[in-house]
Amino acid sequence: MLEARGLSKFYGSVLAVRDISFSLHPGHVLGYLGPNGSGKSTTVKMLTGLLEPSDGQVVFDGQDIHKNLIAYRKRLGYVPEEANLYSYLTGQEYLDMVATLRAMPKRHKNRTISSLLQLFSLWPHRHVTMGSYSKGMRQRILLIAALMDNPDVLVLDEPLSGLDVTTVLVIKNLIQTLSARGKSVFYCSHILEVVEKVCSHLIILRKGQVIAQGTTDEVREHMGKSSLEGVFLHLVEDRDVVQMTQDIVSVVSP
Amino acid sequence: MQRMMQNPKRFFRQRWEAFSQTPFYCLLRLFFGRMFHGHADSDAGDLDLGIGVIVVLLAMPGMLVSLLMFEKYGSLIRFLRGAGPYDPFSATIPDEYFFLVLSMAVSGAAALWRWDSIFLDRRDFTNLVPQPIRLRSIFLASLSAIFALVALLTIVVNAASMVLYPLAVVGSQPSLSLLLRFAMGHAVVMLLAGAFGSLAVFAVAGVLMTLFPAAAFRRVSLLVRFTLALLLLVLLGTSWAVPDWLKQLSVANAHRVAVLPPVSFLGLLRTVWGRGGEPFVAAMTKAGATALGAAFFTTILAYAVSFRRSFVRIPETPDAGPLPRIPASFSPLAPLREAVLRTPSQRACYHFVARTLLRSDGHLQVLSGFLALGLVASAATLNSAPTLHSLVHGSSPPAEFLSVPFILVYCVSVGIRFAFEIPSQLPANWIFRFWLDRERHEARPIARRVLLLLSLSWLAPVCFLATLAFWGWIVALRHTAILILCTVALVEVFLVKFRKIPFTCPYPSFKSYSGLIVVAYLFGYVFFTYYLPQMENWSLSGPWGILWFAPLLGIVLSAIHFYRKQMLDMDKELVFEDVSASGFE
Repeated sequence: MLEARGLSKFYGSVLAVRDISFSLHPGHVLGYLGPNGSGKSTTVKMLTGLLEPSDGQVVFDGQDIHKNLIAYRKRLGYVPEEANLYSYLTGQEYLDMVATLRAMPKRHKNRTISSLLQLFSLWPHRHVTMGSYSKGMRQRILLIAALMDNPDVLVLDEPLSGLDVTTVLVIKNLIQTLSARGKSVFYCSHILEVVEKVCSHLIILRKGQVIAQGTTDEVREHMGKSSLEGVFLHLVEDRDVVQMTQDIVSVVSP
Repeated sequence: MQRMMQNPKRFFRQRWEAFSQTPFYCLLRLFFGRMFHGHADSDAGDLDLGIGVIVVLLAMPGMLVSLLMFEKYGSLIRFLRGAGPYDPFSATIPDEYFFLVLSMAVSGAAALWRWDSIFLDRRDFTNLVPQPIRLRSIFLASLSAIFALVALLTIVVNAASMVLYPLAVVGSQPSLSLLLRFAMGHAVVMLLAGAFGSLAVFAVAGVLMTLFPAAAFRRVSLLVRFTLALLLLVLLGTSWAVPDWLKQLSVANAHRVAVLPPVSFLGLLRTVWGRGGEPFVAAMTKAGATALGAAFFTTILAYAVSFRRSFVRIPETPDAGPLPRIPASFSPLAPLREAVLRTPSQRACYHFVARTLLRSDGHLQVLSGFLALGLVASAATLNSAPTLHSLVHGSSPPAEFLSVPFILVYCVSVGIRFAFEIPSQLPANWIFRFWLDRERHEARPIARRVLLLLSLSWLAPVCFLATLAFWGWIVALRHTAILILCTVALVEVFLVKFRKIPFTCPYPSFKSYSGLIVVAYLFGYVFFTYYLPQMENWSLSGPWGILWFAPLLGIVLSAIHFYRKQMLDMDKELVFEDVSASGFE
């Protein structure tokens, strides 16, 4: 089980997140929502051990992850927000490198990479350098890299960015299947419809603080809203969306 | 041990296979590759040449100079010249100095070129740190990659001279031991000098990275690289003067040249050859060894500290991206720009081109390189005057003085013209494809204005003021007018078949006559920076001499005009692919 216990993070004197606590149990998919600048990426970086919290701790199976970061990362799959890959490596070379860094056995590594490249429709492009990959292809490479070592915890930061409809459907089903197999998934996204569909639990963040937390149904019921979009707008947005739309139209077409 | 003795080939193959599957080797290969293939912004127009081409380019200078040495030391040629036997250890001092300078300069320049690729960046952090590997492994692999690069650079730069030069000098002598002694000493010290050149650049980069925050480092980085490039060119320039000084040196005034690293390494070379008995040579040997050690340890130390300070803290620092700009409320060039940029598309494209040229690291590096070349060539030209006094006294300015702005204009213009061919964010060129009319485009007027504004806007006033200070109004006005007219003609020649929006096309492909184009540029340099100032010098001696320039420039501009007129319409259309007949003309 992955736990965040009272996580706070300061960048200099600027507070990014304050006192975030939650538990991610095996089989759960935790959706993490919030507007831009609310502290989502900071939380993700702390969960993956890329950033040390100013206060609080991230605990995995009862142990602070920073006590044995290598062992923790061996059980973690991570899809970062941006597909910032080595453009001069081919897809296969990149996956081979990640597998080697994860110390996957050679035979298992080759078999897994080949199978996943075929399943994600990247097999014909495996020897093409990633500089010429589309955004969706790069995203698929990141998903393969996160999945191939059979991690217990998946941290996905906008994993559907740039993917085509079929792959989006596959990934949504994949997340649910993996959670059914006991994997923990931390799902950070702006796409409310997907979060509503795939996440069993939900955290909504605003200005670095948790403002709603619980199962997706609990949050909806608590706010008396029929959709997650309604909950989100109610909790997060200060601005009147309709008025804002009219203002934009009046500027471009006075 | 027993297995190794039984089948050593199999033993080492198995060891190698096991090593190649380790994370350390994987990282080492990755970091070594990134030094050749560019950093995180490489998609933004960094010139990606590949290892093979880089190796050939680096090896060429040493090979060419070594081949020339066969003419100098060949026994037949010496016999025909009537030259007698010589001591190779004394007679080769000027050449050894030149090879030392060449080794340091080329290795240093190669290190400067890969400056941005040696430090790990955000992309490395995002891809590597989430993997189950220690930061220490990343650091060690990265440092090892730097030393592997230094080793490769120094070997490649000196490979040809290590083989060919000893053969040229002592190949004809009967003693094999003499050849081996000469060759070994030359090879060892050239490699050390090359390593020093690269390590010194890496050490400077590491120290800057350690001292400055990431954003400030990016700001000073270009300036420092420009200064280092200038220093390397100056170092190269010393190879003509220093060997003569060395002949006249005594221990008492040795300190005059002791600051030059190649002199120290020359001392090291003399010591390796067993000629280090003189106190001056001993002092130089000590200085050379100290400099090399200092560069080596500073590189390690600075890199370790900068890794700790910059790489490990990447998630805490916002992505720097392009350098933030301070919005200028007043630009002295604004009224001039408003006057010469007549149409909306000219204004839009001019701002795009000028900003790309001045903000993109890759383009600015090219421009800085040519400017540095121009400054060194100007200094060499001024230095060639009989006396400093003669440069600024007399009835009219000497040709050496007059040629300086011509050299700078030529180098800056060629730099900008070359930079125009380097693409920048090609997928973003759709905006020009979408909006510009291919038949009524204004590619040439835009390029012309950029070239003229970026060269003359600062050079013409400087030229005018410098001439005014020594020769008064009339000469200053004439000199500046001739410079402006000649620059206009030069720019027209450079843009004779130009039909692209700069930076929006892929690299031009190599053409069969690309070599001829380079030769034309070299001849152009000689004509523009030597013959034109000579003509101007002659024209300034009389009141109407300047009028001779009018028909000359008229002929050039008319020829360009008629050439363009007879071109087919399809050859004048705006292009976004490399379909032009001549590419980089």
